[in-house]
Amino acid sequence: MSGLIREIRFLASDRAALLWLGIALLVACVSVILGLREIAAQRAVLNDLIEIDYAEREVLDTLYQDWGDVAYYTFHLTWDSPSDFAFAALGQRDTSPWKHQIRALALEGQIYETDAENPDFALIGRFDFAFAANLLAPLLLILLLHDLRSAERTAGRYELLSATAASRGSPWFARAALRTGALALCLIGPLWAGGLPGGAGASTLILASLVVILHIAFWWSVCVLVDRYGWTSPVNLTALVGAWLALAVIVPAAIKISVEAAVPLPDGGEILLTQREAVNDAWDLPKAATMEPFIERHPEWADYTEVGQPFEWKWYYAFQQVGDQTVEPLSQAYHDGRIGRDRLVGSLAWLSPPALAERAMQALADTNVAATLAYEQRVRAFHKALREYYYPRLFRGEPVSTASLEQRPQFQGNES
Amino acid sequence: MSKVLSIAREESRLWLRSRLALFTLLIFTVLLAAVSIATSLRMSEEHRERSEQQALAEETFLSQPDRHPHRMVHYGHYVFRTPPPLAMIDPGVDSFTGQSIFLEAHRQNSAMFADARSGAELGGFQGLTAALVYQLFVPLLLIAIGHGVFIREREENTLAPLLAQGVTGNELYAGKWVAMAGVTLALLLPLAMVSAAAVVRGEALLASFGVMGLYALYLFVWCGVILLVSAMVRSRALSLGILALFWLASALIVPRMAVESAVSAVPAPGKIETDLRMQAELREVGDGHNAGAPQFQQLRANLLIQYDVERVEDLPVNFRGVVSEVAEADVTEVMNRFAEERMDLEVRQARFAESFGWLSPVVAVSAGSRALSGTDLATHHRFLREAEDVRFDFVQGLNRVHVEQLDYTDDINRSLNEEANRRTRMSAENWNVLDEFSFQPAAADQRLARAGAPLGMLSAWLLLLTAGGIRAARRMQP
Repeated sequence: MSGLIREIRFLASDRAALLWLGIALLVACVSVILGLREIAAQRAVLNDLIEIDYAEREVLDTLYQDWGDVAYYTFHLTWDSPSDFAFAALGQRDTSPWKHQIRALALEGQIYETDAENPDFALIGRFDFAFAANLLAPLLLILLLHDLRSAERTAGRYELLSATAASRGSPWFARAALRTGALALCLIGPLWAGGLPGGAGASTLILASLVVILHIAFWWSVCVLVDRYGWTSPVNLTALVGAWLALAVIVPAAIKISVEAAVPLPDGGEILLTQREAVNDAWDLPKAATMEPFIERHPEWADYTEVGQPFEWKWYYAFQQVGDQTVEPLSQAYHDGRIGRDRLVGSLAWLSPPALAERAMQALADTNVAATLAYEQRVRAFHKALREYYYPRLFRGEPVSTASLEQRPQFQGNES
Repeated sequence: MSKVLSIAREESRLWLRSRLALFTLLIFTVLLAAVSIATSLRMSEEHRERSEQQALAEETFLSQPDRHPHRMVHYGHYVFRTPPPLAMIDPGVDSFTGQSIFLEAHRQNSAMFADARSGAELGGFQGLTAALVYQLFVPLLLIAIGHGVFIREREENTLAPLLAQGVTGNELYAGKWVAMAGVTLALLLPLAMVSAAAVVRGEALLASFGVMGLYALYLFVWCGVILLVSAMVRSRALSLGILALFWLASALIVPRMAVESAVSAVPAPGKIETDLRMQAELREVGDGHNAGAPQFQQLRANLLIQYDVERVEDLPVNFRGVVSEVAEADVTEVMNRFAEERMDLEVRQARFAESFGWLSPVVAVSAGSRALSGTDLATHHRFLREAEDVRFDFVQGLNRVHVEQLDYTDDINRSLNEEANRRTRMSAENWNVLDEFSFQPAAADQRLARAGAPLGMLSAWLLLLTAGGIRAARRMQP
């Protein structure tokens, strides 16, 4: 116990160590505050949009007397609300859409649109807790630990300290453990302080803290490993920063390149072009060429396929659906490819602890690729519900009425 | 002068003898070469692919059969943003903006299929590019080999003899500077090669030299920081600590803080929000599909007077086409106004973030690099504007066909039967109203002008640091 108190006193008098710990604390606090603010801003935007979207539909509902027009002009907002832990790892919310407007036309032409933020900012990245804990913290730990032994060696006290210590290596271990623990506390403290009032569950916070601790412990072991060689402080630091560069930057970049090469995706442009050709060709084809594949999917409308006029709305929406059906294989391959890439990255990320920690936090925050894909599936499901709402009205030629409009599906958010 | 050179020679001789220095240099050279080649290959492949897709999109549009012209404005067209040659160094916002836009009547779509959305996700730095390595990691190498350039003289007790021989502080600084600058220039070789390759691919010499100059200036700033710190402190550990802190702040923390500050200082609404707010104004313009809408009554009356006829059917032009044309122009005016507002906000955000270049040379160099490479926000906006011009031109070209060549009576009766429908199909020869599109970034001098602010910041950094370093070197005591 007295040893621990001695080490704490020692740490308290080491100004460099206090500086690095102070930076860690500051960075963690700032990242948590910024993350919470960003999530609050996203929630505010969504609340605004949901309101505007609703008001907009109320206006539209009075304008059209034909179901074809209603379906053509009415957009529906869909959204993916941030989880209560999203503040810690903004993840995919930075580059992938979390709000999307769709209407009952062919979905493949709409679903890939991105309502992106300023691309300059997506390029640089956001200052979230995951960034502080996964990229900055290892560097700070390296700065804290790289000269524990070597500094004493340079100062000529090493032999004396080693000889007088109760057991070999123990003062170093206690000193390193104290610094590592202090760094972990500087990170986890702000996370809890921001997360608990922000509504994040304790279990999520415990898991996230565990991720932080394991990740920091990994870097401690790297420091121990390098320390064994008995180099001078500058060489230690160079080697450790080199290790950081390799594990946090180069290995992830290499994984990214190899995964993207190993799991090719169908070209996005091809999906759009195929879809557009299918939809537009329908205008010049006999009506049966549209209605037949449509009926395969929707046999319930088999008795209503007679299209007498050159233009009828039911035929128009049928070929929108057939357009989607035509690109289904491509679209499915695009979806599967993204899952495949993500799975492969998930296994390879074991080669880079910082990437692994980042992915773990994104998973806890529901801001990972899986969450983005899940949102896309929710949009698809909602679009399907819209179609199923409009088809009976279009095919039976029902009149537009307020009562009928009230039955139209509303997008349900994922708020808990 | 000879003293300066011999100090520099001595320094490089020591580096060559130090295994650590040689080892780190070697690793970085391999890294730089590998990343430069990888970035170059990826961007040239992108260039080839998108050019092909652009040609294909044009061919497809032109080969459409005879149709009602309004069908063609909804059939639409695609434009692709081909990356400029210098994207081989700095792909910039390329993978975040989406590379193609679908152009159609009455709508401004956003760019789709950003690479970042389908890429592998590992957090941290999104992909390693030559630009990123130069901006973030080459400074680390310079710190590793340069943090002790002055301190070494103290440690080895060579400072006193040097000063006693009459070497002035200026000469000492100059010697060390030459040594550091030599390493820097050697590290710039891979960049020079890619820049040369970009010139071969059609990039302006001015832009290529600009990029080289920018990065040289930037790395000299780091040399200046390293020399200053090394001259001011007495221990290697302290020198390394200060430099590491400076790197941590300027490479990792300040850029992201710049983003966060810009987001809160200049809030910009997203596209959906803008679109939704725009709807009310668009409704006032009226729906161009509905020639009977009240918004077009005045137009109808004016036309009847102008041509001195009683009925719309007697007009020498197709009234439905006229409505389409007028509505398109009005709708476009509204959409452009909102789009310009949005772009203006984004530019202001970017400029706000760029001003953090006064705090961190990394922010300055990355803004300058994107501007010179033609992969910055302004270039993306240029693409959006050019795409909009193409959109408006082909839509209005087709509306003109609708106005002049399509008979009004045929037009309103087109849904009666197949025969009437056939009469409204215009010859496919009309589809060549579509212009060829090949996206080019702004001229080199314009890009250089955009990089002016970052270049100025880096020059100021360099001047201050050099002055400070010389002052510190002059005050050096053994």
